[in-house]
Amino acid sequence: MLTPKKMSRLLIVASKDQLAPITRALYRSRLFHIEDYVVDGREGYDGFVIGKPLEGASEASENLIKVRSIANIFAISADAIEPAGRQRQADLKSVIERELASIGNEVEGLTARRSLLEASIKENEQRISEITPFVEIPIDLSLYSGYERFTVIAGHVTKNVTIMEPAEFRIVKGKTSHFVVAVVPNANRSEVERQLAEAGFAAVQIPAETGMPQARIDDYKAKIAHAQAEIESINLNLDAIRQKHTNFLVACEEVLKSDVEQAEAPLRFATTDQTFVAEGWVPADSVGGITESIMKATGNKAFVTELPIGAHDIVPVEYNNPSFAKPSQFFMDIYSRPKYTEIDPTLMLSIIFPIFFGLILGDIGYGLILLVLCLALRKYIKGEEGEYFLTIIRNASISSIFFGVLNSEFLGFPMPWWPPFAFSRHLAAEGGGHGPLIPELLIMSVWIGILHITLGRVLGMVNHARQDHGDHRIKAVLANAGWLSVMWGVLLLIWSAIAMPLMPDLTWTPLVVSIGGLPMGVPGINLTMIIGGIMILAGILFIARDSVLEVIELPTIISHVLSYARIVAVGLSSVAIAMVVNYIAIGMLIEPQLTNLTIFGVVIIIAGIVVFLLGHALNTALGILGGGLHSIRLHYVEFFTKFYKGGGLKYNPFGLKRRFTED
Amino acid sequence: MAAELVGTEVAAQTVEIAIKSQLGMKALGAGMAVGLTGIGAGIAEMAIGSAAVGATAENKDVFGLVLILTVIPETIVIFGLVVALVLWFV
Repeated sequence: MLTPKKMSRLLIVASKDQLAPITRALYRSRLFHIEDYVVDGREGYDGFVIGKPLEGASEASENLIKVRSIANIFAISADAIEPAGRQRQADLKSVIERELASIGNEVEGLTARRSLLEASIKENEQRISEITPFVEIPIDLSLYSGYERFTVIAGHVTKNVTIMEPAEFRIVKGKTSHFVVAVVPNANRSEVERQLAEAGFAAVQIPAETGMPQARIDDYKAKIAHAQAEIESINLNLDAIRQKHTNFLVACEEVLKSDVEQAEAPLRFATTDQTFVAEGWVPADSVGGITESIMKATGNKAFVTELPIGAHDIVPVEYNNPSFAKPSQFFMDIYSRPKYTEIDPTLMLSIIFPIFFGLILGDIGYGLILLVLCLALRKYIKGEEGEYFLTIIRNASISSIFFGVLNSEFLGFPMPWWPPFAFSRHLAAEGGGHGPLIPELLIMSVWIGILHITLGRVLGMVNHARQDHGDHRIKAVLANAGWLSVMWGVLLLIWSAIAMPLMPDLTWTPLVVSIGGLPMGVPGINLTMIIGGIMILAGILFIARDSVLEVIELPTIISHVLSYARIVAVGLSSVAIAMVVNYIAIGMLIEPQLTNLTIFGVVIIIAGIVVFLLGHALNTALGILGGGLHSIRLHYVEFFTKFYKGGGLKYNPFGLKRRFTED
Repeated sequence: MAAELVGTEVAAQTVEIAIKSQLGMKALGAGMAVGLTGIGAGIAEMAIGSAAVGATAENKDVFGLVLILTVIPETIVIFGLVVALVLWFV
């Protein structure tokens, strides 16, 4: 449970004519994690080369590309589709041969026509924008070109301008700039251009058109409208094809993908002229099953054996958790998958995360809102990861409700049972009793920190004992013990100096040296202080023996433990927001109006209700963010850094989980 | 006699003012502890956060790692909040 699933290394050797049946058997079993053969001159692999794809690979890939391009055009994603019954693979294959090409051609033809139309629309729009400036000058556009002794200049100027040279000149005034057209004799051209340039001239191209500008624009607009109508009909057509063939396409993709993957599997095997060798990993408990299925597929014409696992082998990692802990794998994968030899903390995460979340949020009202929310979202969020996430939130919200009962909190209000079973988090003492028990709450959170970190360090010792070798192994284990010793030494020192609630009081132990004038009325150094001091020194020694640089990390002992104070701090802030919202909504807005109800008063009451709803909605959102992020952060930063490295290879068995098809 | 009475009253008032202003200072201190540490954490997270988003955009796998890096400075503001709570309630 606390370690990944045990794996075995499997070697399969057979003659090449068994390649297809063995690949099929492996694919169907979905257990064999292939270790790709790399030509690296490994001992015992002289003369082996990478295999060639099976027959039909290229044809299947071509079809797959065709299916995927059609699916792409239609934006069909297999994950988003609920399988409606399974189609038989053999039936499907004959349909693929018959219909895929024609569907592909039809879709391709339609989309090609559509892009052509879109391009023509763009072109016509460009022409319209070219002609638009000339609309105000009612001259046939053909008159702007075709002169030998004259030059036509057109463009925008930023200020009013008149041309001194002899020329045909028009100016159309606009709001920010004016449009000018000038027909000048070639001789005067440069002078005119200079005068225009002074007025901030920017030239426009003269459209190569014939006819009146407005008429031309109308003509192009009609063309655009026509093209748009045709695009509309093409889209309708494509939509109809999509509706008709969605299920066929996703099933096709599945079948072809499995064909291609099987056909290309030999590319990952080592082969000679006559034989092939496949190496890979299977869960240790399925070795028998997979061997049997290979033997059955080949008629005992294959050799399957288990190889010993070497120290440097990268073993793929598959989680091995009880079903209630599985959702927490989601959080583990976000961080990093454990290594094969490492302790897998998923189980601990799945238990401790909801507790932290509950301690932080700890409110019946918010817990219920969250619970309803995640049960409702179950309908919309699909896929394994989404389901895992929702289950985590569900557990967290149940834990919130539980701690809410202990805290006697409902949306910040106290519940009938008072005082609360747990340390009160209510900022004001309502209904008598006490306000928040801050010292107790803080010390409780520090205790949680101490225990969590101690657990982390102990796991660190176990991990180093399992993973390291030789001299380093002892040093690393002792260094972890050293960290523990420093932490508990500091605690002993504190306990012997000051008496605190919820902490052992060691101030009574016999004084060894009596020193006057110490802060906080400490009379001197007592026995437990000396023990604490020795523990700290010994701890530092062990840490330094492993790595001297680590010593600069010593302050993190304090900061990491105190970091757990966030459990209380974030929780209290959420209580504070809830109480403020309640006070504004009920105390300030609703209650004063209830004594003497007027029409204006009703409006104020409605405003109060809005404030109440909005405020608590905001606080729910903050509660999820705060409770979730801080709890997971305490794991990632404070807990995992003590023992967990991660970086394991994901176990990715050869095979496909079929959803739309069957053999 | 009368002067003495006035003196006692003044003394009582002074004590009251002293207690009130002490309370005010506590509130001020608590507010500053949260506010300033909040600003500090914000400044620290600004740079890390933007780099983290950039890194995640390039490679989704580093999300877990950069999330940790991003929330590291947040401890500062938690300490501020703890100090404020201790100031105000303990």
